[in-house]
Amino acid sequence: MAIPVRCVARRIFRDCTRKVSVLSTQQATKPIYPSNSIVCRFYSNDSEGKSTHFGFETVPEGEKAERVYKVFESVAEKYDVMNDAMSMGVHRLWKDMLLHIMNPLPGARLLDAAGGTGDISIRFLEYTRTQRERQQRRSVRSQQTLSWQDISQNYTPSDDQGPAESTAVSTAVVCDINKEMLKVGKDKAEKLGYSSGLSWVVGDAEELPFADDQFDVYTIAFGIRNVTHIEQALDEALRVLKPGGRFMCLEFSKVSNPLLSRLYDAYSFQLIPVMGEVIAGDWKSYQYLVESIRKFPDQETFKGMIEDAGFFQVQYFNLTGGVVAIHSGFKL
Amino acid sequence: MTLKRHAYVWSHAIYAVNKRNAKFQLDMAALLRGLKAGRALRSLGSVAVQAAANPQSSNIRRGFHRAALLRVHDESKNPASSSSSTPHHEHYQAHSLPADEGTSTSTHEASAGGAATGQEDPQVNTSYQDQGGEQNEDYETEEQLAERILTAALDFVPQHGWTIEAIAAGAETLGLSSASTGMFINGAGDLVLHFVGHCNTQLTEILADQHKHVQLGQAEQKKTAEFLRDAVETRLRMYIPYMDTWPQAMSILILPHNIPHSLKHLSTLMDDIWYYAGDRSTDMNWYTKRAALTGIYNTTELVMLQDSSPDFQDTWTFLDNRIQDVVNMAGTAKQVAATGEAVAQGLMGAAVTLKNMTGLNQRR
Repeated sequence: MAIPVRCVARRIFRDCTRKVSVLSTQQATKPIYPSNSIVCRFYSNDSEGKSTHFGFETVPEGEKAERVYKVFESVAEKYDVMNDAMSMGVHRLWKDMLLHIMNPLPGARLLDAAGGTGDISIRFLEYTRTQRERQQRRSVRSQQTLSWQDISQNYTPSDDQGPAESTAVSTAVVCDINKEMLKVGKDKAEKLGYSSGLSWVVGDAEELPFADDQFDVYTIAFGIRNVTHIEQALDEALRVLKPGGRFMCLEFSKVSNPLLSRLYDAYSFQLIPVMGEVIAGDWKSYQYLVESIRKFPDQETFKGMIEDAGFFQVQYFNLTGGVVAIHSGFKL
Repeated sequence: MTLKRHAYVWSHAIYAVNKRNAKFQLDMAALLRGLKAGRALRSLGSVAVQAAANPQSSNIRRGFHRAALLRVHDESKNPASSSSSTPHHEHYQAHSLPADEGTSTSTHEASAGGAATGQEDPQVNTSYQDQGGEQNEDYETEEQLAERILTAALDFVPQHGWTIEAIAAGAETLGLSSASTGMFINGAGDLVLHFVGHCNTQLTEILADQHKHVQLGQAEQKKTAEFLRDAVETRLRMYIPYMDTWPQAMSILILPHNIPHSLKHLSTLMDDIWYYAGDRSTDMNWYTKRAALTGIYNTTELVMLQDSSPDFQDTWTFLDNRIQDVVNMAGTAKQVAATGEAVAQGLMGAAVTLKNMTGLNQRR
């Protein structure tokens, strides 16, 4: 389904570039054919620059990426502290839930896009390490009651290494557009002792610096609402995933319960910017944060966008009554 | 002219006599026999129709499911939207359809699966070229891909047990990353239920095949006891390659969230075996027969778990004995009923005689 959409988009783009010379002479007042008017409008928008939302503000698209960069540059130092303060520590549970649903097997490669301070990647490495230990314990236990035939087989060297997970090590790549966030994350990881198996890469989620079919799991936690073109980010995710790979997105979403929604809105708009000012000295960034949450599409719409990008078996899980939703899709 | 009239009168007379005779014979026993005969004929006809139509879809239910999948696939043209309605719906589909779709993909992908997806093909992939393994996923639904992964995973069960690792290994043989095991929310349960459903469809095919041979006169109809014995043995033999890990599989099957599905598989299995054994009862016998066979099957399976005799001979001996028990029980039950009737009649006769003797029966 993604392919016809892309073809149509490309055709429209080709049409509008071809018709440039024709339309530039006319005034775009009353074109006869509706298709021309659509094409004309597309071209005129392109010349002005399409606008998008930055919180509740409307900004030109080119500017949004820059302003998001500045926001995260200023919050990088206190990012983790603020997360704990704003969510009262619940964000750790959300991220643990993401890992639990992902259930990665040892040997999987993770791309943590908009990974920032590396929370998800560190949890991923921890999870796969415990899984690997459990598997090894199980294999040792099963070898304790071997028959003499099996023991003799174990002494002869076998060519195939058997299950890949016995030797494979899981690796995680943290990719973020913001160098400050990556710096903070690197320091944190070194302090916790996760140096091997983690890479830190600067990159734009809309244009990932990786080859095709590289990763088993692609996650983007609390990052996709900051991306200017969400569809491009989804397309890139599809590209870098291996066949059978999983796309997972942890993001703030719409609360369905009206009472909870009112409480949540009050908390978001009254308390969070205040906390931001007090703890991090930055009101505007946290104002942007809560506004960008409201601007993000709801669960079903986002699910539709993921399906349009070409993922299969898309489903979402609501956490904390819809405050946060985990969307998951597969590249099949 | 007169000859014709004579013939007419004669035939009419015969008809009248027969009618009277029929009326005379029309007591409960004959009525029951007639009904049974009618039912048997009707069911025989339907079996013949089903056996002729499609040996794999011996169940109308399966045909409906396949039709539903085709319709859905044609309508949506996007497999994702058809099955990703809600997580619960997916879960249900993943469980109910494997038993039904197992034939179309894992066992006879060429024939039935080709028939099912072949009908979809001309309507769906007009624009997609056959560019590789991944893009073939446009032609088949996610359920069919899940089927394929689980079937591939069965090869790794002796090594990994009934676990997610086995499914991951199976996915890797198909060229998919191990992250695709996330599709199976029930994990190992999905694998075990898929296998059980697969075995059930295999058995149904074998029984239908045998039935066809009997219909064509190529083979003799087996006696009920022998038929049951052979059916249960064939079915249990399918577990032999996985015997080492079968206790783990059984424990997965009785997990609370898997019990509805495993019970469903078991009940359809018993129903199929009795159907092909020729049972067309519509009274309490339907339940007692299936309950008896379920008991036999489960106990034999348990005996098989710890059987170490060559080719599981002890298990088959146990099976023979249990079936013999049931047969004896049935015979004994009939005898008890007959004796009871006789005793009751005797008592009634004695009571009437007493009343006559004491003169209570006379009207004054």
